[in-house]
Amino acid sequence: MKKERSKKYRVLQVLRIVSQAGFFGLFLTLFIGAHYTGQDYISSTVQRFFHFDPLLALVTLIAARLVYVSFVFALVTVVATVVLGRIFCGWVCPLGAVHQFFSFAFKKTRFLRPPKEERASPAWKYYILIIILAGALLGLDLAGYLDPFSFLTRSFALSIFPGLAYALAGLKAGFYALGITGAGRSISQLLENWTLNATFIQGFAVGILFLGAIALNAWKERFWCRYLCPTGAFLGLLSRWNVLKLRIDDEKCIKCGLCTQHCETQANPYPNEKWRSGECVYCETCAAICPTAAIGFPLQPAPEKLANVSNVDLSRRKVILTTLLGLAAVPFFRLTPSRKRASLKLIRPPGSLPEDKFLAKCVKCGQCMRACPTNGLQPTLIEAGPEGIYTPMLVPKIGYCEYYCSLCTQVCPTGAIRKQTIEAKNKIKIGSAWVNKSRCIPYVLGKPCIVCEEHCPVSPKAIKLVEVETKLPDGKIAVQKAPVIDLELCTGCGICENKCPIVDDPAIYVTSVGETRSEKNRLLLQVIGETGEPGK
Amino acid sequence: MKRRNFLRDLAVGGAVLPWGPRVFGGQAAGPAQAPHLAAVEGESPYLITKEAVAALGGMKRFVGRGDKVIIKPNIGWDRTPEMAACTNPEVVKALVELVHDAGAKSVTVIDNTTNQAKRCYVRSGILDAAKAAGASMPYVDETRVKRMALKGEWLKEWDILMDVLEADKIINVPIAKHHSLCRLTMGMKNWLGAIGGARNQLHQKLDQAMVDLTAFFKPALTVLDAYRILVRNGPQGGRVSDTKLVKTVVAGTDPVAVDAMGAAFFDIRPQELLYLKLAQERGLGTFELEKLRVEKRKI
Repeated sequence: MKKERSKKYRVLQVLRIVSQAGFFGLFLTLFIGAHYTGQDYISSTVQRFFHFDPLLALVTLIAARLVYVSFVFALVTVVATVVLGRIFCGWVCPLGAVHQFFSFAFKKTRFLRPPKEERASPAWKYYILIIILAGALLGLDLAGYLDPFSFLTRSFALSIFPGLAYALAGLKAGFYALGITGAGRSISQLLENWTLNATFIQGFAVGILFLGAIALNAWKERFWCRYLCPTGAFLGLLSRWNVLKLRIDDEKCIKCGLCTQHCETQANPYPNEKWRSGECVYCETCAAICPTAAIGFPLQPAPEKLANVSNVDLSRRKVILTTLLGLAAVPFFRLTPSRKRASLKLIRPPGSLPEDKFLAKCVKCGQCMRACPTNGLQPTLIEAGPEGIYTPMLVPKIGYCEYYCSLCTQVCPTGAIRKQTIEAKNKIKIGSAWVNKSRCIPYVLGKPCIVCEEHCPVSPKAIKLVEVETKLPDGKIAVQKAPVIDLELCTGCGICENKCPIVDDPAIYVTSVGETRSEKNRLLLQVIGETGEPGK
Repeated sequence: MKRRNFLRDLAVGGAVLPWGPRVFGGQAAGPAQAPHLAAVEGESPYLITKEAVAALGGMKRFVGRGDKVIIKPNIGWDRTPEMAACTNPEVVKALVELVHDAGAKSVTVIDNTTNQAKRCYVRSGILDAAKAAGASMPYVDETRVKRMALKGEWLKEWDILMDVLEADKIINVPIAKHHSLCRLTMGMKNWLGAIGGARNQLHQKLDQAMVDLTAFFKPALTVLDAYRILVRNGPQGGRVSDTKLVKTVVAGTDPVAVDAMGAAFFDIRPQELLYLKLAQERGLGTFELEKLRVEKRKI
């Protein structure tokens, strides 16, 4: 038999790689673009990717019981998947591209030697999907933890780019030390121009998870896509009716098994009847490497049998059990005091929905933290309970809320942070500032300071100065101007805390109380009702 | 000569012609006779800046051919020009052009901002204005500083921006604003934006710090932007109603005298400002304006 590989599918394979590189490049461009560009409003950012994600669309719809119009784009993905199969996973998904690239690298370096036949079950991702959907029924949004866009954006925002920023800063210092000032200066300008935030609580942990997900490719090719990705699972369920069906020409096939061994996503091309269209991402590898060009994907608009969707044993019993597990898990995510009483440190970005709606909508992608010009938005760890891990909160000690900036509200893919004009944002209160008089310089040391007052951005200022007498250790009395807060004017932006010269534990600090979005976390009682009647 | 430059010179020439005899007379008599201070009032921040420098004898008096020049405005805040929190961009633009025309090798506009640098540079309007006039405008790199011996009364040493240290000539271009601690922030306070380090700790003895810094930086020229001044809620204001139109620029070589003259716009007598007193005692200049030749013009 004549041994010749299929030219057509090798070209398609190259095209697929070009497509993946292109979409990854687009993702990266949009990701970097999410910063202050010189314009108050930025239009297209990486949230566009999210809007094409049907899992996020569905979970947000179910969990928050809200229709978010931008998710209409997800229908494109749904239709494409129904007609053409999981081309989204193979040709578009930027996280898929990352895993693909590292699988390739691990194969070339022989870290990864795929077995002739893979026995591990790809069913796990379906169970993960079921648990996420079951949780969404009860308003729990878990999609963000394993959704590929959320995972990738969060990892890039909180660890990869911060790591890069650190590396660049090191390189810059090296250039300066060597006297290559021009190059060093270019780096410093780039860091400022792109707002490469480098300081993140949990940055290390998020980075380790990302590197771990990449390292898993050394064990199984595209491990994430095969066993973990709930979006892939969702698309897998949709791809049963697609028109591109793998066909092996029995006359040409020499039963070498290369196709099954090197299938990226364990779709099992050989034998033909065992091929799982729900797992196939149309990477074209099998067709391209087949030594006799026996494999093709002809148009065949016949629906697959359900059993053949993935050939994974998604028995009714298992589906019911995981659904119940998913539902049962919800209360455990809620065993947290943050539901009962507001957490003082949980200062949400301006425009955030009330906490329960916020948690149901936030997909933990970290875009707001990427866009924040001061690096103040940080991933929450415990303050919002288990379902709030990775959701954004302002940590004024690290960075404050820039007065004329509403970028975080503009880049949020789900509207958990509602889009705000600068004017609207300036009216939102995200918390309240407090003076710790036992640490404040004028109050304790009797020395002048007023740094907080100087930085207070509202006019008239929310920080007023009053003269206070301080008894000094030698018994003398010092009189200084010291800060007091007008809580009606304070927006909670936190610049006072950020700029306070007491660096370790600022003498002025912001807590969440008084935030506009909450009806419970109130401070100033509206004693006079809007009708003017007292006591309303 | 470029057409743009020609048109510009024509405009400036036209503007100064009514005062021609005095301008050219002053120049002919030589810098010895030039006024110590020039205060020019007018509708255009750009033109009054050029006029003020001309009244002092022209930029060539302060900047030589081949000089590396730093122009140091106040760009501390993320505020647009009508808030009067940052130096007027037109004033900066006029100075960049004058410095270029005087034959400088390079002109750099820089300030260590308080809000995000990019926001301050862009929204103050200074980035566009300075770039259009041919200046470079890098963001401050907080790591590119040098610990310098200031030999001050209080500040013995501090981190100074290398960009400023490397310059041959510095032109200080502050804006006149209200400040809760030192009452007014003008030229002497503006040096806090030319340094690195924990600047917020300088507030514990701010007047002294300002004097120590003023003694260290030796600007060739100080141009105080009092076109629109900030009269309350300083030093950043936030409402147009916090500002007042004075439409004046004060230029001079004596940093103490320039600030002393600026105080008048706020109806504050110079001797009420502690830092001016300390600076005069230190011999950095004088706030006794009556002893100086002051040229006042209106265009």
